[in-house]
Amino acid sequence: MLEIKNLDVAYGHAKALHDISLNIETGQMAFLIGRNGAGKTTLLKTIIGLLKPLKGSITYQGNEISSLSPEEHYLKGLRYVAQEKKVFGNLTVRENIEIAAYASGEPVDIALDKITSIYPKLKDFLKTKAGQLSGGQRQILLVGRALVGEPKLLLIDEPTQGLAAIVIEEIVSILSGLRDKVSAVIVEQNLAMVNRLADRVHILKEGKVAREIIDKSEISDTRGLEEYL
Amino acid sequence: MLYTVLYGFTIGAILYFISIGLSLTFGTIRVINFAHTLTYTIGVYALITLVAFIKGYFVLVAALAVLIVIPISYVIERFIIRRLYGESLDYTFIATFAVSLIGVDTIKWIWGVNPYPLSDPIGTYLAIWGLTFPLYRVLIVLIAILLFFALDLFFKKTIVGKIVVAALEDKDGVRCLGINVDKYFSIVFVLGSALAALGGVLYAPISSIHPYMGLSILLLSFAVVIVGGMGNLKGTFLSAFALGMVMAITARYWSQGAETMVFIVMAIVLIFKPIDI
Amino acid sequence: MDKEKVYKLNSDKGNELSVPLKNAPMKEHGVIDFLVIAAGFLLITPILSAHRVTDFMIFCIFVMSFDLMYGYMGRLSFGHMLFLGTGAYCSGLFIRYISGNPLLAILVGIFMAGLLAMLIGLVIVRTTGACFSLINLAFNQIGFFLVLSPLRGITRGEDGFGVRVSSFGFFNFANTTFKFWFVLLCLLLVFYLLKRVTTSPYGILIRSIKEDETRVKFLGYNTFFYKWLTFVLAGGVGGLAGTLSALNYNFVNPNMMDVHSNVGVVFASLIGGAGNLYGALVGGVVYMVISNFLPIYIHRWEMFLGFSLLIIVFKFRKGVWGNIQDIWEYIQKRKGAPRLAA
Repeated sequence: MLEIKNLDVAYGHAKALHDISLNIETGQMAFLIGRNGAGKTTLLKTIIGLLKPLKGSITYQGNEISSLSPEEHYLKGLRYVAQEKKVFGNLTVRENIEIAAYASGEPVDIALDKITSIYPKLKDFLKTKAGQLSGGQRQILLVGRALVGEPKLLLIDEPTQGLAAIVIEEIVSILSGLRDKVSAVIVEQNLAMVNRLADRVHILKEGKVAREIIDKSEISDTRGLEEYL
Repeated sequence: MLYTVLYGFTIGAILYFISIGLSLTFGTIRVINFAHTLTYTIGVYALITLVAFIKGYFVLVAALAVLIVIPISYVIERFIIRRLYGESLDYTFIATFAVSLIGVDTIKWIWGVNPYPLSDPIGTYLAIWGLTFPLYRVLIVLIAILLFFALDLFFKKTIVGKIVVAALEDKDGVRCLGINVDKYFSIVFVLGSALAALGGVLYAPISSIHPYMGLSILLLSFAVVIVGGMGNLKGTFLSAFALGMVMAITARYWSQGAETMVFIVMAIVLIFKPIDI
Repeated sequence: MDKEKVYKLNSDKGNELSVPLKNAPMKEHGVIDFLVIAAGFLLITPILSAHRVTDFMIFCIFVMSFDLMYGYMGRLSFGHMLFLGTGAYCSGLFIRYISGNPLLAILVGIFMAGLLAMLIGLVIVRTTGACFSLINLAFNQIGFFLVLSPLRGITRGEDGFGVRVSSFGFFNFANTTFKFWFVLLCLLLVFYLLKRVTTSPYGILIRSIKEDETRVKFLGYNTFFYKWLTFVLAGGVGGLAGTLSALNYNFVNPNMMDVHSNVGVVFASLIGGAGNLYGALVGGVVYMVISNFLPIYIHRWEMFLGFSLLIIVFKFRKGVWGNIQDIWEYIQKRKGAPRLAA
């Protein structure tokens, strides 16, 4: 479904990704792991079109997408959830969803139903300003925003970072419920989560693909993965 | 004394009309538009041209003048401003300054350099508490207050307004939700320019009209935006009226010092609260 | 200052400086520069008059002072005329009320402009970007207003006042030829001074500040001091230009403090190529030629100026000189010659 070939990405003159190649099949949940600065966020940002690669190609469902803008990616079904849990703080939760529904054409009420069915507690917060939500609630709102319309590929950057264990549990169960409905590429440092959800794991080190695990059974070897974090 | 207050509010209102566009453009596109008051000037000249043809209906003529400005500001946005997204500040300054140079010279070419007189379109006075106030000035202030609430509603209730508010906070986030933010920022730009033209049109009957009128009020609008905060609607409203008062009060005691006082206030604000661009 | 430390700052960043280090050559061009510049000005003198060229040269000095702040340190001021005006008025007033000695007057002009820069610099230098541009503009406007109105008693407001210098030895400022050579000498001196300054470790430091101030701070340098120093230097040289203006025209008036004239020096700096002393000279001359002669041939010269600015901003960022340099380098590369590298 998603094919990345020989990707080079740089910030100005500083190269962040060298010759990255990897594939994701439809319906799979792939995880990207690696140390801070390894290039994971850079890779996600390039896939969604916020960054343009120096060379290489990104093919999605057979089409070359590396030169498209984020808006165009959205229409193709790609959804990006950034790392810093940034919501539209000055707007209410409901309004956040309104904006998410705008481009997709999906009626706001249906979008709201979809999200409250995955995470019922959000119903109490519809009128709250998003800026007042806790970290975990924001993360869930962000995932909710990404699910509006017909998402096909989710790109999520460190969803459980900085969250308490209970909240992480909630997020894992939400993501778990999405398996087979959407494909996903998720950046994570939480190996337990990787273990439970991943169909494949790609390890980035210093801007290069250090290792790929395509076989689910190999993923449970968490000790082997730890060295890359 | 009360006249001074009214005068201050009137100037404040006009400053508000002009500064709101500047503030929004800066908050959204992050471009300091030196050519902003060009639309102000164009609006005024359109007004005086139309007035010669359509005598008597000031409101109609004013509305037309403002409408004429819209395509012009769209052209400026499309061909100049849009290319300046993300550019360093010097270049945006210089490019927009160049636009205003071209614009002012064009106006000089078509209409000449001499000032045009235009009289108070209403000419009646309001009698309150034993004093007479020019009704026109009072109306200007009322319109400004109306505008404030209208804008507030716009940004709080309409989807376009909400998109802009969201984009002000997290532009990439909005883009990744499939919305072409730049298109909405263009709308904001044109809206701001139209409001500046409105300010010009309303102020024209009580000020002097000449090709450089835009430049002199531009600096004052910069001061308003800096004191009120870029992209801050309430702040711009308050600082416009505050600085309008400063001007009026200074003018009463020291007639030429009005504008300079505004700059002194701006300098003081910048010293204690430098803006981060 | 640790010269080594500063050079290292730039090399390990891996970024290109906007003003490549090749402008700070290891070997001094020295005397050749002077001869070239002097020859340049002498050559155009027969075409225009000596009086005109003196004008041009004074403006070039002013552009160099502006470029120090804009091109090298990266701060665009929209109020640099303040210093020209201060220099002009202070030296003018000195001559009028205290002493007709021209050399003293020049010193007074430079000193007062520098002093003003020192004082307001303390406040202004903290700011950057649009803030810096506008606050300079504000001070310029305030200065303009001061000479126009409150100080009208001594400055004669809008009319300005005449400046008559007495001869001091062989410094005869009534003589056009003398003025020409004197201003040329000043220009060469300023060029020399600024060349030394910008190629010194201090110069590299301020260019590094332009590129990435935080980094420079982390290395332990007090960037505020260096920015302030640059501001003072720019102000002082600007004041010199002002003083020379006063002596050249025998007249001082508020136009020398006019905010709108700032566009001229910005344009000159850009068109010549910011961050480059030669560029400043080229730009100064080009702008002077344009503003003096273009209005004669093209009625709507301001429009022309506007369009040219747009073209420069969108297409020719590096200005005339920068493009010439590029072409020169290209030729060098093709010849296979070693680059004029630092």
